[in-house]
Amino acid sequence: MSNSTNIKRLPLRKERGPFLYFILPAALIVGVVLVFPIIYGFGLSFFNWPQVDDGTRAFINFGNYLELFKDNEFWHSLSLQLGFIFIAIPIELIIGFFVAILFNHDFPLSGFLRTLLLLPVFILPILSGLTWKLMLQPRYGAITYLLGLFGMEFPQGILSDQSLAYIAVIIQDIWRMWPFMFMILYAGITSLPKDIMEAAEIDGAGFIKKTFAITLPMLRGTITTAILLRTIDALRIFSEVFVMTGGGPGNGTMLFSLYIHKQAFEFGKLGYASAMAVILIVISLFFAFGLVRKNMDIDTM
Amino acid sequence: MRKLLLVLLVVLFATMMFSETIKVLAWDDAHSQSWNTLKNDFEKATGIKVDLELIPSGSMLQKTALNVTENRANYDLVAIDEGNVAKFGDLLLPYSQWPEGNVFPKVGTNDIPAAIFAAAEWGGQLVGIPNNGNMYIWMTREDLINNEEYQAEFFDQFGYELQVPQTLDQLMNMCVFFEPKGIYGFAPFTATSEGATCEAVMFFESFGTSVLEMVDGKYQVSLDREKALQAIMFYKELMDYSPQGALSMGHGERIGAFSDGLVFSMFQWPGIVPSHENVDESMVAGQIVYTAPPAGPFARTAVRGCWIFGIPRASTKQAAAAEFAYWVNNYEVGLKLAEEGMTPVRTDLLNELSGEKPWYTGMAEAGQFAVSRPNRSVHYPELSEVIKTNWLGAVTERMTAEEAVDNIIEDLNELLESYE
Repeated sequence: MSNSTNIKRLPLRKERGPFLYFILPAALIVGVVLVFPIIYGFGLSFFNWPQVDDGTRAFINFGNYLELFKDNEFWHSLSLQLGFIFIAIPIELIIGFFVAILFNHDFPLSGFLRTLLLLPVFILPILSGLTWKLMLQPRYGAITYLLGLFGMEFPQGILSDQSLAYIAVIIQDIWRMWPFMFMILYAGITSLPKDIMEAAEIDGAGFIKKTFAITLPMLRGTITTAILLRTIDALRIFSEVFVMTGGGPGNGTMLFSLYIHKQAFEFGKLGYASAMAVILIVISLFFAFGLVRKNMDIDTM
Repeated sequence: MRKLLLVLLVVLFATMMFSETIKVLAWDDAHSQSWNTLKNDFEKATGIKVDLELIPSGSMLQKTALNVTENRANYDLVAIDEGNVAKFGDLLLPYSQWPEGNVFPKVGTNDIPAAIFAAAEWGGQLVGIPNNGNMYIWMTREDLINNEEYQAEFFDQFGYELQVPQTLDQLMNMCVFFEPKGIYGFAPFTATSEGATCEAVMFFESFGTSVLEMVDGKYQVSLDREKALQAIMFYKELMDYSPQGALSMGHGERIGAFSDGLVFSMFQWPGIVPSHENVDESMVAGQIVYTAPPAGPFARTAVRGCWIFGIPRASTKQAAAAEFAYWVNNYEVGLKLAEEGMTPVRTDLLNELSGEKPWYTGMAEAGQFAVSRPNRSVHYPELSEVIKTNWLGAVTERMTAEEAVDNIIEDLNELLESYE
C-alpha cells in the first residue's frame, strides 16, 4: 500500500472552476505578499543595489554571492544561527516531550498548570528579549541576583561576555518556546490509541520501554511537524536577539537574520542582503525537505 | 442666504487656489512635536499651510530615500540626520541659494555656533540649516563638588580645588578620589551601537588624532597609532571607576546609574538630560552642573549629532519651505517652541533659557568644541562599524589595544579601497 498522499484529479475543467474561484483570493494574496517578494529579492541579489541611489546600482551577476563566500562575518553568523537551531530545538523538544508525557496523566490542578505553562509562547518575542535583558542586568537583574545567591557572580554582566550572551539568547528561546513543543506533542500523545499502551502494560512494559518503543515511534510525524515549525521559526529569529544584545558583544550573537538586517538597513546594501536572504531560503528548504521526506508519510516528489 | 453661500464658496475657492501647502518630513519626538503644536501660528503669520509628517527616526532614511530624488520631491522640507547628509547632500539646495524670508528673516550663520552649522556641510558648502543642537554635554554632580568635606579632602590629596573636571587628567583624579566613597567617577558607553563610535571619536580627537580625514574630497585613514593607543588605554583606566556592567552600558544603563546617584561625571546627549532633571525619575535632579566635556591632552571635544533641515532641489515650493525653517529657528518663536519641548540651537536662545534649563549652558559651551564623526561618506555606517567593533573590542578587553588600532587602520583602508 502506498503511503503517498493521493490527490484525486478533477476530470473536467468545468468541475475545477469553483475550486479555482475559492483558491484565487488566497493565491493572489500569497502571490503578492510571498511569491513576488521572493522573486524580487532573488532578482535583487544579482545587483549592487544601495538603499539610496548613488549612481552605483548595477547588475553584477553572481558578485554578491562570491563576496558572501569570502565574508568571514557571513560564515560566523551562519554558524551561530545553525548552532542556535541545533542546541535550542533539541532541548525544547526534550523538555516539551517529557512534560507532555507528565501531563498525559491526571493529577490535581493539571488543567490549570497546563494553561500556565503555555504562557511564555504568547509573549511577544521583543518583550521577551527586553525582559530577559533586564533580568540579566548586572546591577538590578533578578537572574543575576539569584545566580549571585549561588555564588555565581557576573559583575560585568552576562550579556557583556560573548559566550555567555550566546548562551543567554539560547536559554531565552528555550524558555519561550518549549511550551510550543509541549503543546504540539501533548496533542499528539493524547490522540494516541490507548489500547496499545494498555496492551504494552499488560505485557509488562515499563515507562522507558513504552516511551521509546511505542510513544516515540508513533509520534514521529508529530515530532517532525514540531521540529519543522520550530526550525522555520528559529531561522527567522530576530527581534528578541536584537533587543537583548543587538548582535553583540562584538559579533558574539550576530545571528544570520541580524546580519542580514545589518547589511540591508544599516549599511544599505540591499543586493548583498538579498543574496543572504536567498541563502536563508535555501537553508529553510533544505531543512523542510529533509525533515519532511525522511520522517513524514508525504511524497514530496 | 444664497449670497452668504456664494461668498463662502468664493473664499473657499480662493483659499484653495492661493494658499500654499508645504509638506515637511521630520522625525517624531518632543522636539519636533513642538513644531506641530505651534504650526498654526506659522500658518496664520505666513498664510502657508504645513503638512508636517512625523515618523520614527529609524524610518527617516528609508522614507527620505524613497521620496527625495534628483527629479522628484514629495516633501518640500526634510529633516536629515547628520550621518545621512552625504547621501542626500547633492539633492539639496545650497543654503546660500535659500530665498530670504518674507515674514521670518533668514537665519544668519552667526546665529548658530559655526561648529554646529557645519553639520549641514557637504561638498564645501552648507546644504541646509541645523534644527537641533545635539552634541555631547558634560554632566557633573554639583552636590559632590560643593561638599565641603570632599573639597578639603580632595585639596589635601591633589593640591587643587574639587570642581567640574576641566581636563581628562582631572577627571581621573576625581575618579580615584570618589572610588573609596562608593561613587563611580565615570560611566562609559559600551553598548554595541553608534554611541560607541562617538566615544571613540571623542577620545581619539581629545588625544590629538582623527580616525579619517577628508583630503581632496575623499576620506583617508589618518589615525595616529600612538595617540590612539593612549586614548584607548586612558578610557580603559576610566572604566575601572565605572559602575557594574560597564562592559555593556547603553543609554538605559547610563541614565539609570547617573540618576540613581552612583556616578560623579559623564557625558550625555541633550535630548536625554530632561530625564535626569525630572524629580520623578532621578535622585540627582537639580544637582547637576552642565559644561563642555573635559579637555584631553590635545583638545576639548564634543561629538556632534545634529539634524538639519534641507530643501530638495526638486521641490517647487522652496521659498515656503525656507520660511518654515526660518520660523523654527527664529528667536521669538524659539522662546515659545522651547516651552513646548523644542531644544533650541541658536546661541542667544540657549543663553536666554539657561536659567530654566541649566543644560542649555552646557550646550552653548559644548557647541564651540563640536566635532563630527567621519560621516561625510555614503559608506559611513560601515566605517562606523569598523571603529565601533574594534574600539569596543579593546576597551572591553576582547582584544588588545594594539590589535584594535591596527585593525581599525587596516580595515578602514581596505573598506575605502573597495569603494574607490
